[in-house]
Parts: sequence; structure tokens; C-alpha cells
Amino acid sequence: MANEDVKVGRQAEEDKGALGDSRPGTIKFLTGLGAAAHALRMADIDVASSYPIRPYTGVMMMLSMMAARGELDLEFVHGEGEHGQLGIAHGASSAGARAMTGSSGVGVVYAMEVYSPISGGRCPVQMVIADRTLDPPGDFGSEHTDALSTRDQGWMLGWAHTPQEVFDNTLMYYRIGEDPRVYLPQMNCQDGYFISHIPQRVVVPTQEEVNSFLPPLEFPDALDPLNPLGHGPQIFPGQGHVLEATRVNAMMGTFPVIDEVVNDFNKRFGTSYDPFVEQYKCSDAEYVIFISGGHAFTGKFAVDHMREKGMKIGLVRTRWVRPWPTDYLADILSKFKAIGVVETNNSFGAARQCGILTLEVATTLYQCDNKPVLTAFMAGLGGEVIRLDEFYYMGDVLKDAAAKGSTERTAYWIGFHNV
Amino acid sequence: MKTRFKKYTVEIPEEMAIPFAGIVESPKPNGEQPMMLTGGWRIYRPVIDSEKCVMCKSCVLACPDATVLLVDGGNKIGFNLDYCKGCGLCTWVCPVNAIDRVPELDFEDGVPFQDALFLLPHVEALYAD
Amino acid sequence: MTTLLEEQVQAKVDLPLLANIHQAVELDEYYVMGHRTCAGCGPALSYRLACKAAGPNSIFLGPTGCMYVANTSYLCVPWAVPWMHTQITDAGAVVSGISAAYEARIRKGKYKGTFPNIYVFAGDGGSSDIGIQAASAMMYRDHDAIFICYDNECYSNTGIQTSAQTPYGAWTTFTPPGPKIPEAKKLFPKDFARGMIALHPAMQYAAAASISYPVDYMNKVRKAANIHGAALVHVHAICPKGWGLRANQVLLCGKLAVETGTFHLFEYENGEYTYQYQPKAFKPVTEYLKIQDRFAHLKPEHHQKIQEFINQGLKRCGIKIPVEAV
Repeated sequence: MANEDVKVGRQAEEDKGALGDSRPGTIKFLTGLGAAAHALRMADIDVASSYPIRPYTGVMMMLSMMAARGELDLEFVHGEGEHGQLGIAHGASSAGARAMTGSSGVGVVYAMEVYSPISGGRCPVQMVIADRTLDPPGDFGSEHTDALSTRDQGWMLGWAHTPQEVFDNTLMYYRIGEDPRVYLPQMNCQDGYFISHIPQRVVVPTQEEVNSFLPPLEFPDALDPLNPLGHGPQIFPGQGHVLEATRVNAMMGTFPVIDEVVNDFNKRFGTSYDPFVEQYKCSDAEYVIFISGGHAFTGKFAVDHMREKGMKIGLVRTRWVRPWPTDYLADILSKFKAIGVVETNNSFGAARQCGILTLEVATTLYQCDNKPVLTAFMAGLGGEVIRLDEFYYMGDVLKDAAAKGSTERTAYWIGFHNV
Repeated sequence: MKTRFKKYTVEIPEEMAIPFAGIVESPKPNGEQPMMLTGGWRIYRPVIDSEKCVMCKSCVLACPDATVLLVDGGNKIGFNLDYCKGCGLCTWVCPVNAIDRVPELDFEDGVPFQDALFLLPHVEALYAD
Repeated sequence: MTTLLEEQVQAKVDLPLLANIHQAVELDEYYVMGHRTCAGCGPALSYRLACKAAGPNSIFLGPTGCMYVANTSYLCVPWAVPWMHTQITDAGAVVSGISAAYEARIRKGKYKGTFPNIYVFAGDGGSSDIGIQAASAMMYRDHDAIFICYDNECYSNTGIQTSAQTPYGAWTTFTPPGPKIPEAKKLFPKDFARGMIALHPAMQYAAAASISYPVDYMNKVRKAANIHGAALVHVHAICPKGWGLRANQVLLCGKLAVETGTFHLFEYENGEYTYQYQPKAFKPVTEYLKIQDRFAHLKPEHHQKIQEFINQGLKRCGIKIPVEAV
């Protein structure tokens, strides 16, 4: 019943042209992983390192097929595990190649050691992540805790909510990460199965258009016998914090670059992405659902329904978690009466037993004059679908919160309180 | 709505600046790394008796620090005492016992009598501040 | 106008083998003086000889270990060729990435020079213990690169802890001797090089060398570099501090390791082993053990056990040279 509604929702949005019917280019029917693979092909990547784990594996299957058919001149390296995958990408990027890798779930955290050396080496590697719940038990479902666990390692981190956005993000992330003002690795995340495995219409531009948007990588200090340099020596005792400060500056300096690149993308390809945050029906909203990732797709449809019932609800979807668009979100969120953060992740023992995103949202709002009521919705854990009726329940909680100025709970466990 | 980006970047004073990603220049081949002078570690100094030396060059390959050098147009063995740690491997490897190990205390410019090896001009320049 | 370096790098030719010590001495130094390794450091000597043999068209990778920490302190490096730090765990993976990057970039016309020789210089921990997964994967994938394991038989950088290559009976700070454990380390070490050869039957070249035989070692490095594909060099690099030796005993100790049959010098080529050290008889192991303080606590029965392990090793490797009686 609920699934039926979701299907209708997708159809409705397609009819409105929200998936880019108006854009010039070839229309393909692609999953999120297929969209990523096609974008990587058009980005002319040099090295990919693979290791199988559900659900991200599809992107590597497609890339290996493209390499076998000669559609992409690629060194496809079979990693010995995710730790090795990241090591291979690190080496390839240090030697000046455009490198990519990817993973899911426990694989993402198995590679944990290598994230910081890559971002500290300022290697603009891109990693395609299709989220999966961490063990135990063996659970294939999408949950963002895997990629969010790496948020403190100096990688840019953002979620797409449609295969089209995955395609576009792949190109935009490379251009941002390889910008001489930035040089940072990027995590191009999508929800496992919900985005990674469900085909939708994707508009694919021509190779010439992609080439003009994304120039070849020019890594300034690549390992090269013609220009001998030492990468990553130990430092003076007083230099550690300076080196960290340069990485902070690179990360915080991405804001104008993201702004510039996304606007350039919109101009070239006829899209209308907000560089940082998508606002859906927020102009007169009193309370909003705050969300990151694929469940925003269902969320928007739920907002439409609730609007029809006269509720003043909207949806705010952040396109970035690192860097966290603090000022941007502070301006947007501080004008509402209540905010419910949909957490598709878990942080055991976190403040108020919310998830990771609520901590960030609370910090963002702390300096604002108007502090909305803030609560967390622990939903989609273990990869469960967030159903329309669950979004309606969240809407009711938020409506109540906006009226009363408080909520009963700091975190609502969807699937427990609402039954 | 147009949001201004507040500055969250850290201003790094010029004297604290660090190279991009901590990537540093390599020294030249056959050169030296003056940031790491090691001659001051020495207790025994290698001294060669050129009369005894048969120029087998075993000592040149035996030095972990590349401080045993061919000097005098390649006809004699010499030592770079700015870096020689005094390990004595050159003495051990010599087949004709031409390299003696003499305590640094026996030299007027011996390590214990120097204020600091860092007074060498090229190093002094590095620590000018 | 091209510089000398560009000429050397662009004219990719096989590195010629060295006939004698004089030819070896002639070569330029690419691991120069000015590093914080201990006086008489065996791994530093092995690094210097490898860089000397390798020449300018090289990239060296330094996984964490003595040869990272002691060489690069204070934002400086002693290498005149490109060098990069990797985690102790993933040197084999990073070298694979660099090799793949050069394959792709040269094929796509994005790099104008010739393919460089890419070396990993990993300690025994970084190759046979924590780094074995990445090392094995690099050899399995047959990347055009050279894996050098400098074997000082312990984790020296962290203060002499036992590794998978620390021999039976050795004192380390994780295997101290005491009344309950008189022999200190109770386990026998891994046989890294031969294990890797067995695990990767397609490997074209592998060798074991010692810093006490420098020309032999440098030629093995050059042969490994000339192979198109993965190659392995295992070099016995004595640690004076970790083994309880005077600094000037390092080369003597390396020589005794070979002369007692504790460490075998060999080459593996075209599926066959050749052994370079062929005396009339091996010396008894006691001669090797008695100069090292790390074995000072051992009793005659422990010496006997080590001798049996060595005899068994010689038999396993098909070396039919007798061992002198004590």
C-alpha cells in the first residue's frame, strides 16, 4: 500500500519534469550506480580500484565492462580489500592520475586508516559510496552511519537523492576537489538500493560538454623523477597544528568554489541545483523536515500531501555534510518554529540520543537569535524504508511542536512510538 | 537569499607557513641534507693512513651515511666529518687496517670542544631567526 | 635543451650489472648524508645501496618504520629521488596505484617521460607482519614495481618489539627472558621471501641479499628493477641497537648470519633457486649468537634448538652443505 504510494510519487515527479526532461542530452534509464559509472567514464578517469561489497559493487562492474569494451581507457586494479583500495587510489592520485574507488558499509570503515593520509596528502580521489548498515548483523539495507563515520577525516562528503543528481555530483565533485584552491578527496554518497539499484531517467550530456566543464587534472606536486620531491615527511614539533590548519583552510575554503562550480554547472547543463541546500516548499513553511540523501524523494511527496491537508510544512535537504554549510543553514533554519531531523544514521550515546546530523544542526542554530524546537527522527535505520505514513507522523509531531514550542521526546524512534 | 560566507579559515602567520601538503624539496644527488647534521654524535673519529691504504674502496660502500668520500681526484679516501657518526664500520671493513678510530677528545677541534656543530655557515643560515 | 637528469630519465635502459666494487662506488648517491638513523644502522646502509643501484629514474615509497621516522624528521628528506610516505599497512597498495597511474598516464599521453622504477622500502613488520596483505596483493597483480624488505628482525623504531621475523630465542621488549620463559621469544620466524615466492607462482624474480655483501645486493636490486612486473628483494639489515651489537660489528654480524646458514643468499629466477654462498661447511650458529646481546640469556639447549632449526632449513631448501660441529 505504502509502496504503491512511493511509486506514484516517483511518477508524479517525472511528469513534472523534475528529473530534467527539459535538459538537452541523451536520456538513459540508469540506476544510481549506473549514473556514477557513466559520469566517471565521461570524466576520463585513469585508475579505479575495486573490491566487491554490496551494494556499491555495480559501479565497478560497469567500469570493468567499459574497460573491457574499450569505451574507457582505464587501469582497473583489483584491490585486496577496502584498505588496499584506498591505498591504490592514494598512490595513483599522488602520481597525478584521476583516481576513483568506492565501497559500502563495513568496507568503508575497514579503510578508516587511509582517509586522513589521502586528505592530508591533498589527493583529489573520488569515492563512490552506496550506503549500507554496519554489522552486526549482516544487514544489506541503507544507513548513512558508514560514510558519516569518516566525517572527521578531511574528505568532502555529500549525498545525492536521485540517479540524475549522482551523475551530476560525480562531475561537480571532481571539479571542486581538483580545484587548485581546494585539492581534497570527495565522497560521492548515495543510499544503497533506494538510489543505487532503482533505475530512473538520467540525462547524459555530450562528451564535449563534459570536457569543457571538467578540465584534466593538474596535480602540482605529483611523484615524478623529473621533479624529485618528498611527500609526507615527519614534521617539527611546532608544525602539526599548522599542517592541520592548512587542511581546515582547504575545507572551509571550498564554499566559494562550490558556489562557483555548481552555478557554472547549472548554466552549462540547464539544471537548477542550489549549491548547498535544497529547500522544498519552504517559503511560507512554519516547520520543516531536515534530511540528507535519498529519503528526501519520498519526503517531498509526503510534504505535497500534507500541504494539501493545509499543513505549513516544508523540507530542507542538505547536499553537503562536509563541509557543513553553517551560515547558509543558519539563515534558512532559524526562521522556522520547529525542525525535525531525519537521521538515517545512529550515534550510540550521542547528546540527547539523537543521530549525527542533529548534533550539527543544533550547533548551527546555537548562535541564532531564533532557536526553533529541534527533534530527531531516528528513521530508516537498518535500511528500512521510510514510509509515507511515517513522514505524516513526523509532520504531526512537528505541527504539534510548532504550536506548543516543545516536543515530548528529544529523539523519536520511527517504527516504535508511531505504532 | 544570498548568504555571505563567514570566514572560518585560520590565518597562518608567514613565519609559520608550511609547504603544500607538507611536500618538501629533495636534496641534490651526491649532496647532503643540512637540516640533519649528525657529526656531533661522534665519539671516535676515523683517521686514514693513506700510506697503508690500497684504495680497495670497501669503506666507501660500508658507510650507512655516505660520508666516506673519494677525494684528491679520486685517488684518496676522505671523510665528511659534518655528518660522520663515528660508527667504525669503515675501520672494521678495511682489509689493511688503514683506518684508525681516534677519540674526539684527542683533537683540538674535537666534538666535545665545539660549541655546536650548528655554527657551520650553511646551517647557521637555516636557523638565522 | 634537456638537462642531464631528463636525459637519464628519458633514456630508459636496463640497469647494467656491476662487475666489482669499483663500479659500485662510481655510482651517484641518491640517499645522501644527513639523516637521524643510529650510528652503524644496517637498514640505512641497505637504503643507501639500493638508491645507489636504482639511479635517478626511481620513486621510493617509505611505509612507516625506522626508515620513515629516522630519515624524515623535521620536514626534510635525505632522498634525491621522489619519495612518499605510506602507512605501514598499505605500501604494496600505494605502489600498485603509482604503477597503475604511470601505466595509464603514459598510455593516454598524459606523461611524457618513461616508466619509472618504483620501489617499496618496507621493514620486516611492514612486509611480513601488518603489511603482508598489501605486499602479497601487489605481487599477485604483478605491478611493475620492486618490493624491498629490509629485515632487521624486529620493530626497532618503536623500541625493539618482536615482529613475525624475530628469531627464536631473541630478547625484545615484548619478549623479555625470565624464569618462566628462559628462552625469551618462543616462536620461530616466518620465511618471508620463500613464502612470497610460493604464494605467487607467476613471480619472475625474487632474491635474498645482505648488506655485508654490497655488490651482490646492488646487483639483485638492479635485476629486480629490470624485470617488467613485480619483483622482491629481501635484504638482511642488521640493527645494532636492537640486536645488542657495537655499531662497528654490524657488517661482521651480517657476514656471520650468512656463514652460519642462518640467512641464505639466493636468487629465484625462471622458477629456480640459486644459492650464492657455497662454502665447504657452514659455521656453527653459536658463533653468530654469541656476539649478540639479544641472545645472551640463551642456554646450550636453546643454541641446540636453533641449530636444529637452521639444519632443517638447509635441508628444506635442498642445500647439501654440512655444518661444522661445535
